[in-house]
Amino acid sequence: MKRRRTDPVTRLLAWLAITVIALPIIAIFVKVPWSTFFTSLRGDGSLTAVKLSIWTSLLAGLICLILGVPLAWWLAKGGNRVTTILRPIVLAPIALPPTVAGLAMLGLLSRTGLLGRPIYKIFNWQMPFTTTAVIFAGVFVGLPFLVLVSESTFRQLPREVQDAAEIDRATPGQVFRLIAIPQSKSGIVTGLVLAWARILGEFGATMMFAGSLPGTTQTWTMQIYRELDISQDTAYALSLLMVLISVSLIFFLRKPITQAFAS
Amino acid sequence: MKSAYAVVSFVLAATLLIPAPASMAQNDSRTVTVFAASSLTKVFTSLGSKFQAAHPGITVRFSFASSTTLATQISAGAPADIFVSADIASMSSVAAEVPHPIDYLLNQVVVAVPKGAKIKRISDLNGGAKWLQCAHSVPCGLAADSALKSEGTVMSNPVSLEGSDASALAKLLAGSVDAAIVYKTDVIANPSKLTAIPFANTAAASTQYKLGILAQSASAKSHWAQTFLLYLKGHSAKKLLASSGFTLSQ
Repeated sequence: MKRRRTDPVTRLLAWLAITVIALPIIAIFVKVPWSTFFTSLRGDGSLTAVKLSIWTSLLAGLICLILGVPLAWWLAKGGNRVTTILRPIVLAPIALPPTVAGLAMLGLLSRTGLLGRPIYKIFNWQMPFTTTAVIFAGVFVGLPFLVLVSESTFRQLPREVQDAAEIDRATPGQVFRLIAIPQSKSGIVTGLVLAWARILGEFGATMMFAGSLPGTTQTWTMQIYRELDISQDTAYALSLLMVLISVSLIFFLRKPITQAFAS
Repeated sequence: MKSAYAVVSFVLAATLLIPAPASMAQNDSRTVTVFAASSLTKVFTSLGSKFQAAHPGITVRFSFASSTTLATQISAGAPADIFVSADIASMSSVAAEVPHPIDYLLNQVVVAVPKGAKIKRISDLNGGAKWLQCAHSVPCGLAADSALKSEGTVMSNPVSLEGSDASALAKLLAGSVDAAIVYKTDVIANPSKLTAIPFANTAAASTQYKLGILAQSASAKSHWAQTFLLYLKGHSAKKLLASSGFTLSQ
């Protein structure tokens, strides 16, 4: 196949765009204190924060999967007015500023919040400042990514396959479980991974809603922010690990991601 | 619909399991949680490790932030045992939660500059220098406001209003600015890097640190919170605080 050439101006702008994205990432590699890399990671609380982030984000991701796939299927199937109204609400957290998301969750679940007040009265327990708050915030910000990608994959399912199944008297539940989910596996996994990456990187909303307490709510990204005030070497070392995770995730999923957004 | 039941029961199980680690941490009386003004980060961290070394099995964990942020979190029900604020106002705002605070330390804001900087006097902040201070809502910012007002010569504006003393100091140490209004103790903690230019009116630049135990932790159940409180008020802690540049109250 003959390659089409691009014009010089387009190429120049493209390279400029690459520079804007790539140079800051390169800067992290340059600034990382390689000689003391492992000792700086071992210091005061870094490992605790990384561990907390990993298990809470995995659990939040799992909850997103359990709740998000049925929702995505329902949105993909339903052509009525309800889904038209609900879709933007479900996807809103993607565009919501973190501080607003944090405030929204406080407004709902703090001791004086909409749901938080009765919960506090009955159980003498509130969600803010607990690990549960970290997980809740994760589900809140991650779920829309999973729903977005899964729904788009569900929509690409050939209509005839579903019709054929229904003619063979498959129940709607069977169509969903035995046809839709297996056929859309790669899209669901892509959505899950994108959601997980978003949850792992979550900072502002969680800090507002859950606070920042070592071992309980202080996550990986909060530890980076904290280390800026204490040891920039550690902050860079912790950041490098994050860069490696996100770049490798995107690298391995480059095909399904492009497919999922192509529709 | 077997699998649907499995999914539902899993979600229920998950929601039941989640609060466990959090509540465990809260009720564990062998962990002392201290909310302290960010200017105490260095001293308190080392006091905490000394205390832990002397009392094996006891964990002292710190949440360092601006006193105002910590006070907001405490009144929202954050699980703290001890609160140390860098001013009186933040402590007063949690009077219901921390009923009997005491005067603990005094500290002063200064203009901190890197060693060998061109800025020699406070009025040099006017000469196009890039400087920053803490936000007008946090103790180090309020002290900076009143100190600058007493001086009456600074007409330029800060390039940033930082959320806490620690982050103002971090930006100065990283070389992002020419000067920063931070605490005297920050300069003493970085003797090879920083020099302090004091304000003439010491009283205007001063702030009173308060120390208190939360009412819920003052109960007999929190033996270790009370022990650590005594340790913070004790001789060896005061010696370290004094050598770090804090003036002891009482």
